[in-house]
Amino acid sequence: MTIASVPQPALAIVGPPDPDLVRIRDLIYQVAGIFHPDNKLRLLQDRCCRRMRELKVQTLREYFERLTTHPIRQAELTALLNEITIGETCFFRNRQQLDALRRIVIPNILQIKSKTPLRRLRIWSAGCSTGEEPYTLRMLLLDDASGPLKNWSIEILATDLNERSLAHAREAVYGTYSTRNLTPANRTKYFIPHGEQLRVSPAARTNIGFSRLNLSDDSRMTFMKSMDAIFCCNVLIYFDLASKRRVIQHFFNNLLPHGYLFLGHAESLYGVSDDFRLVHLPGATAYVKGERLLGSTAL
Amino acid sequence: MTTAPMSKQVLLKKLDGLRQIPTIPAVLAPLLKYLEQPVERLHVQKVTDLLAQDKSLAAQCLQMANSPLFGRWQKVESLRGAVVSLGFRNVSDIAMSCGVLNMLPGEKTSLDPVVFWEHSLGCALICRHLARNTNQSDPAKAYLAGLLHDLGIIVNLWVLPQEFRTAYESAKTRGIPLHEAEQKFLGFTHCDSGRLLAERWGLSPELIAVVSHHHSPENSSEHAGLVALVHIADLLCRMSGLNYGYIEDREVNLFEDPGFTILEQASASLKSFDWARLTFELDSYMDEVHGLVRAIYRK
Repeated sequence: MTIASVPQPALAIVGPPDPDLVRIRDLIYQVAGIFHPDNKLRLLQDRCCRRMRELKVQTLREYFERLTTHPIRQAELTALLNEITIGETCFFRNRQQLDALRRIVIPNILQIKSKTPLRRLRIWSAGCSTGEEPYTLRMLLLDDASGPLKNWSIEILATDLNERSLAHAREAVYGTYSTRNLTPANRTKYFIPHGEQLRVSPAARTNIGFSRLNLSDDSRMTFMKSMDAIFCCNVLIYFDLASKRRVIQHFFNNLLPHGYLFLGHAESLYGVSDDFRLVHLPGATAYVKGERLLGSTAL
Repeated sequence: MTTAPMSKQVLLKKLDGLRQIPTIPAVLAPLLKYLEQPVERLHVQKVTDLLAQDKSLAAQCLQMANSPLFGRWQKVESLRGAVVSLGFRNVSDIAMSCGVLNMLPGEKTSLDPVVFWEHSLGCALICRHLARNTNQSDPAKAYLAGLLHDLGIIVNLWVLPQEFRTAYESAKTRGIPLHEAEQKFLGFTHCDSGRLLAERWGLSPELIAVVSHHHSPENSSEHAGLVALVHIADLLCRMSGLNYGYIEDREVNLFEDPGFTILEQASASLKSFDWARLTFELDSYMDEVHGLVRAIYRK
């Protein structure tokens, strides 16, 4: 350990964040619930720049106006959100969230449910897109199939609004982009080569049910009962506040008392629901029902 | 946190016998005392002169003064420039941070000094952030409390390095809070040993309460608001990348935490505080803190 005796120019002075970019960040957080901390502002700026080029808009200030006062601001907001979430879908996308699920959440659920006769785990991937998320969950659970999950039946429900995405999911064939995060072990264990692509192995395709579902369809939402965990990543960002609240209320009703709701990375329910409570897991966050009381944890 | 009487006696004896007990750097005490005066009575030159007495401290202060964490975006090249542009409050925070930074034992320790300081500095910044946003405490006081809350770890590293190593390794392997492992292997925690040092140094009653009770805010009869604030900030840091070198393997529900209840009683604005956003913002603090501490330690 050496304490520097003279100042080192080790920290780049990059300048304060552009106030207009900060306004866009705050707008995105307010309407969509996705937050870009200061160290991710450059990423947000890149996304805005792509849209600005498209619109032939010169400055961030002008672009902020497009997002707030322009007659087609809603359409532009959706276009920007698409840019923000583009390329997000891949296997094992949010490693810390998945680790927390496996090491903390599943054991918690198993402990609570071990007192009931029904040894069943029900997980819902709401807005599953082309299927990477539900297959990832299935692989994660398969890893524990002969360990803690032995004699437990697993049910993964995967829904999406888009029929074409669902067809892709059922086909279960993926290119290099979707499979970029795979460890060599997972690649060998859960995939089989399919031409130049990879296909999810039959074992990892079991116990997953794909179906079309509109999260705004109140009558069908009421049937998605008895969930232990719901994953809904980067889906609610497109909903207006009233619709978001309705969907969240359904999630709340659909989850068992100990159930968990997982959102996308840096996605928040702030201002949307007082029923769910934020919990901190190692390097990740989730939401739980406010009224539940798990065994107290030592602090 | 109660200490077994025998252990506490042993600890006291060890502390008394220790020749190299960490002391506040000589220059720091008069500087901090001077800075306690009302701002209108302070002179830039006097502060600069006091700081300049310790060249290493002055160099480190200048480095920290150039960090965006203290609101700087343009390079400050002189101590005087730093004092003028940062303001007396920030200078006090920075001087204290650098001064305390130098107190860890020089030889190889179980807990990497870089990691320890990332946690302390991170906690200090989150305390300041929380104090500013909840009107709970004076931000400068909260910063100092966050910076010094783990003073006892420094004591443990000096007094019982081998036993502390065992405790730390056990905590890391099992993913449990460090103070639980200390209690088991040392018979006391860094709260107990920190209290002894804080009293010996003659720190304020508020800081002594923070050092003694930051893991059990419900036991703090006085200054409970500040203690609870540090407790929550510490918890958030330990569940993120600003931990002690490992993330605790558990779920934390802030809303069921005794520290949260204390804070909520004291601060009405806390009810609407956005904990999700603060958690996401930790990411950017993390980057800055890593960069700064590593630059100071030339790692």
